[in-house]
Amino acid sequence: MYKGTNASAGIGIGTIRIVEEKELVIKRETVTDSAAEIQRFKGALETSMKQTEALAADLATRVGEKEAEILNGHIMLLSDPMLTGEIESMIQKDLVNSEFAIETVCTNYADMFASMGDELMQQRATDMRDIKTRMQKVLLGAESVDIASLPEGSVIVARDLTPSMTAGINPANVTGIVTELGGRTSHSAILARALEIPAVVALAGILDQVKDGDRIVLDGSDGTVIVNPEDAVLAQYQGKREAFLKEKKELEKYIGQASVTKDGVHVELVANIGKPDDVDKVLQYDGEGVGLFRTEFLFMDRDAMPTEEEQFEAYRKVAVALDGKPVIIRTLDIGGDKEIPYMGLEKDENPFLGYRAVRFCLDRKDDVYRPQLRALLRASAFGNIKIMVPLVTCIDEYRAVKALVEEIKEELDDKGIKYNPNIQLGIMVETAAASLIADIFAREADFFSIGTNDLTQYTMSVDRGNDKISYLYSTFNPAVLRSIKRIITCAREAGIMVGMCGEAASDPMMIPLLLAFGLNEFSMSPSAILRARKMITEYSTQELQEVADKAMSFATTAEVESYMKEFVNS
Amino acid sequence: MVSEKVMIKNPSGLHLRPAGILCKEAIKYQSTIHFHFRNTTANAKSVLSVLGACIKSGSELEFVCEGEDEEEALAAIIKIVRDGLGE
Repeated sequence: MYKGTNASAGIGIGTIRIVEEKELVIKRETVTDSAAEIQRFKGALETSMKQTEALAADLATRVGEKEAEILNGHIMLLSDPMLTGEIESMIQKDLVNSEFAIETVCTNYADMFASMGDELMQQRATDMRDIKTRMQKVLLGAESVDIASLPEGSVIVARDLTPSMTAGINPANVTGIVTELGGRTSHSAILARALEIPAVVALAGILDQVKDGDRIVLDGSDGTVIVNPEDAVLAQYQGKREAFLKEKKELEKYIGQASVTKDGVHVELVANIGKPDDVDKVLQYDGEGVGLFRTEFLFMDRDAMPTEEEQFEAYRKVAVALDGKPVIIRTLDIGGDKEIPYMGLEKDENPFLGYRAVRFCLDRKDDVYRPQLRALLRASAFGNIKIMVPLVTCIDEYRAVKALVEEIKEELDDKGIKYNPNIQLGIMVETAAASLIADIFAREADFFSIGTNDLTQYTMSVDRGNDKISYLYSTFNPAVLRSIKRIITCAREAGIMVGMCGEAASDPMMIPLLLAFGLNEFSMSPSAILRARKMITEYSTQELQEVADKAMSFATTAEVESYMKEFVNS
Repeated sequence: MVSEKVMIKNPSGLHLRPAGILCKEAIKYQSTIHFHFRNTTANAKSVLSVLGACIKSGSELEFVCEGEDEEEALAAIIKIVRDGLGE
């Protein structure tokens, strides 16, 4: 049994087809007629462009425009005047064959991109090698591996799949993909997910362990790969495969269904996102809105503060895409644990107890908070945006943000700029202090969203990244459960919406308790939404009261967990 | 020769897609079109040259156009960058 990186969910069972590009032998040869050799290069370039255009068009119709983008990028690289100019001048000056000139020039660029240490640039290195091979194959008349004609039940095992190779995959015949290189965000992984083919990547050395025709099973959900499985194991995975497909089909039935319990209690199932592009997934899994849009991405990995315009565009894009459904956007949540040189944040002795989130933003109103709040207000004219303030511990902080928002509203009024005058301003409840005075906050805030990850960390005084003490980190700890219940009760008594945007909101063992406590909104990763909807429709909140009372009566985390486990599995 | 400064606001900087859009616009003009950023100079008509400059979001570039249609070229380039290069 081997373990790689899970890249595309599902169980693949089939026969191994090793897909290997034949190593091209590129020799340096001297040419006498450089003009003729340049013509030879130009011919090969044109053929390569045509091949790539055809592949891109095919992929765009079979899979989607987005997936074809990488091949359109190859066309741009192939038509780059600097690249072709350098190759031609090398042929002319050094009197070398086209294959060698291409090898030298493209490898130089690939190495340059690879050394930049930026993930997007690393992918450009792969692109350069891919177009290099494509042109050389045309020149040498070498055949490409014909992935399109693999027989039914094939599992591709390869060192890596280049975009031009993956473009030819027929999902009806390929039941799985295993590669030695790559990661969850590499091109082959993205395409495997788009085609819904189970895939395991970054499994170093697998090619030395298998041969063509071996039987193989892979679990793309946990990264397991088993070569030539025993009958019992094979049967077990066949069962898993059927269960996976059955569940997937069953969950698809919940698209478009209401998230309502058996006794008629409606809740909202919304998504956590980190960047505007994530909206596609929210809509795909039928999310009823966005419960947490983290804005940190706008500020990371750059040299200067994002402008108000830039932020406005990002917020507006999400609001428009969600088309009136609620979009809760959390204002900047950074501190001394993040390296953002232009922010001038000093290293904090205790970054999670330090100068961060709303504390930092209120101290940097003019250059940080005002532009963000103004961008949010302006974007609120284009959809149902709500603003959420992170890490509040006392009511003064909420009042200060509220006053700032009101001030900006007046400015916008003066300038005649549109915004939603009734925009809601809520808080992320994630500190012990906010939980203890939730009744006070509930009088003034428009909504609550419980951030269970930090709430657990701050309530238990435990750093979840520290293995030695991570046993203390559990949302089922009686202290954390009491805190959650209290927050929900205070919100409900004041008549404001209360949601949860931590990992606990999609935990099957936690959902029954949250329903019993009266949570209104569950925010989770988009792919978890349909499973949660299925669970919710199978419960009655009235019947769950007894379960919650019992769960709350235990003294230890272990007792609560084992009781909930038993309840969920019964 | 004419020049103007402009800020890159694409969230991931000048990666392949926006760089390609920039080049496609640049090759429409006869003038040479370059940009300076810190100590590097890149040819706006070459996607490889643009990518090689490794431009991140928030960087300020100075575009320089030289040739018969330099005024027109500069105006077009500045506009397309301000408009977000298709993003």
